[in-house]
Amino acid sequence: MPAIVIAVLVAVAFFLGYRFYSKYLAEKVYALDKSRPTPAHEFEDGVDYVPTNKHVLFGHHFTSVAGAAPIVGPAIAVFWGWVPALCWVVLGTIFAAGVHDFGALVVSIRNRAQNLGTLSATVINARARTLFLLIIFFLLTLVNAVFAVVIAILFEAFPASVIPIFFEIPLAIFIGQYIYRTRSSALVPSLIGVGLLYLSILLGQVFPIDLSPVASAVGLEVRTLWVIILFAYTFIASRLPVWMLLQPRDYINSHQLFIALGVIFLGILVGFDRIVAPAINTDLPAGSPYWFPFLFITIACGAISGFHSLVSSGTTSKQLDNEEDARYVGYFGAVGEGSLALGAILACTAGLGTYAAWQEKYVDFGTASEGAVGNFVAGVGHFANNLGIPLAIATTFAAVVVVSFAATTMDTGVRLQRYIIQEIAEVARIRPLTRNITIATGIAVLVPMGLALYPSDAGGESGFAFGYLWRLFGTTNQLTAGLALAVVAVWVFTRGRNPLAQIIPLVFLLSMTVWALFIQIGEFYARGDWLLTIVDALIFVLALWLIVEAIGAFRRAREHRATGRTAGEG
Amino acid sequence: MLHRIILVREWDTQVAASGCCGRLGGENSELGEKETFAANRCEMEAMGEVYRALKAELFDEDAEITVVDPRNMVWLIPSLLKDARKRGFGIAETWSHLRRGVSYTAIVVDGKTLFSGRIPPVEDAVRAVREEISSAESEMAAV
Repeated sequence: MPAIVIAVLVAVAFFLGYRFYSKYLAEKVYALDKSRPTPAHEFEDGVDYVPTNKHVLFGHHFTSVAGAAPIVGPAIAVFWGWVPALCWVVLGTIFAAGVHDFGALVVSIRNRAQNLGTLSATVINARARTLFLLIIFFLLTLVNAVFAVVIAILFEAFPASVIPIFFEIPLAIFIGQYIYRTRSSALVPSLIGVGLLYLSILLGQVFPIDLSPVASAVGLEVRTLWVIILFAYTFIASRLPVWMLLQPRDYINSHQLFIALGVIFLGILVGFDRIVAPAINTDLPAGSPYWFPFLFITIACGAISGFHSLVSSGTTSKQLDNEEDARYVGYFGAVGEGSLALGAILACTAGLGTYAAWQEKYVDFGTASEGAVGNFVAGVGHFANNLGIPLAIATTFAAVVVVSFAATTMDTGVRLQRYIIQEIAEVARIRPLTRNITIATGIAVLVPMGLALYPSDAGGESGFAFGYLWRLFGTTNQLTAGLALAVVAVWVFTRGRNPLAQIIPLVFLLSMTVWALFIQIGEFYARGDWLLTIVDALIFVLALWLIVEAIGAFRRAREHRATGRTAGEG
Repeated sequence: MLHRIILVREWDTQVAASGCCGRLGGENSELGEKETFAANRCEMEAMGEVYRALKAELFDEDAEITVVDPRNMVWLIPSLLKDARKRGFGIAETWSHLRRGVSYTAIVVDGKTLFSGRIPPVEDAVRAVREEISSAESEMAAV
């Protein structure tokens, strides 16, 4: 089937989801009221609280939520065939992500634009805040581990992308210095920056950086060496002031996001490529994980991502001009991320040329996991080639986009992890950790690095546990989403309305997550993989804790409702 | 005629590329510290003063004040181009206002960039915006 047909059908499904389901949510579940003043009006100060046009807010929200994770999950999950992955992305976006992102935004605006951590303490109980911090701790640890491996895999597979990526660092610093110090226009420098970045791809082609000789000289594998270099970089980068590297890189990345989306969908349109992967892969080797429940934790971002609730309940809720705009900004933001996941599915199923080529790359789950981002890069390279860009350059371009996003995620992840470690240390009263940034950063770097380098025979040929780490990352992301859905569901229920729209995805997500974690504990234990057994068991405990808190919150809400009182319409 | 006043300045948050797995924020963020985006806070507060003064000055006029982050280029660039086209600016003039408008800080009225790279004293900003609105209205009346 031509990929463009799938793209059009999914666009229609997303449109229908937005047109009808989000309308139902807006009217019957969240009971949006255009005349009710939002925090942006109530506390309007022109600083944090600013009533903002919904299109402006959507641009900000979508640019903020899109990242590399909706690429990797779908790129792995097409191992089970393109139909299961596509169905989960489409149904997840319409019935889970849209409900979640939209709901988190609504609950936040009805609660003085409070953020999710505070809301979980208010709506559920004070313990939920600690639970939230612990889930985020594991989530960030796994994010940093998996993205280090993703970048290392790409650097090893596409050595031409190394120079552009390392060139991007001084380029971003220079752009930042230029913009902030001279207070000049950001448009021209950022466009020149993107142009120079893509020009450096040519340099990368001429001088690909292959670390094999160095790696063998020091007795390490190439990927191991890259992971160590990346964490050393992240340790330094996360200590720099944000205006030096992180913020100016935002300007380059904002351009790259839309360039990449444009290339993918235009390439599909022009090339009219057909999907070569099987609709459902019935030729799975023995020992492969079954798609049910693992599909639902392999694709987290792209079908539903817990972190979106933090964006929704952060800046966005302080700027919403009127309640009805929440539907467009929140629900459509989720659709935007679903479209990115769709692009990843199409790249890995229609961009790989032939069925034989696809089969070789998806021969078993370990190979599929390890090669997933490489397959995406090859697919996008193929789509860009449809637009007339030479294949080698097009492929490096795709690798540069993914690595830019992944490197930014790592830089951010280590900074956020440092805050979480300090906050947990505050709760646990471990004074040295609360005061010493170097120690906190060291932990934020060393723990995920240990996981990224953890040897296992489960992750593919090279002996690393990437496939498992990705699935564990998916479980923590789904738990974050579960917590947000529980908050939204309790809030809806206490207002006397029907919370089924939240409860169904909540129960489904938690069941799939707990089930997958349970199966994995058995697997890890049987293999004697003690580290992964412990990590899995800890996340399993957090999942059970979340279920207990959610049930407790519903019981209290039901008792409250039985008294004939609701928490009001608001 | 509805006048569009765009106040450009960065939010105290990270914007692109990592929000699905963590986004760094400043003072009012779930995860982050006040000091991280201290420079942005200064600009946000200075622009906030301009915002409040303009709201007070233009409260009974047909004017829409929008605060936007320059990294939100997917909205900012088309909007500046659309406003410039409405005013009938030539290519060079449009480019000049667009280039200066997509800046760390800027004040743009109906496609015309009045201040770029700095936030003027509140009185200067209000006066300049008021003059530009009158000028845009005269232009439209002449057309």
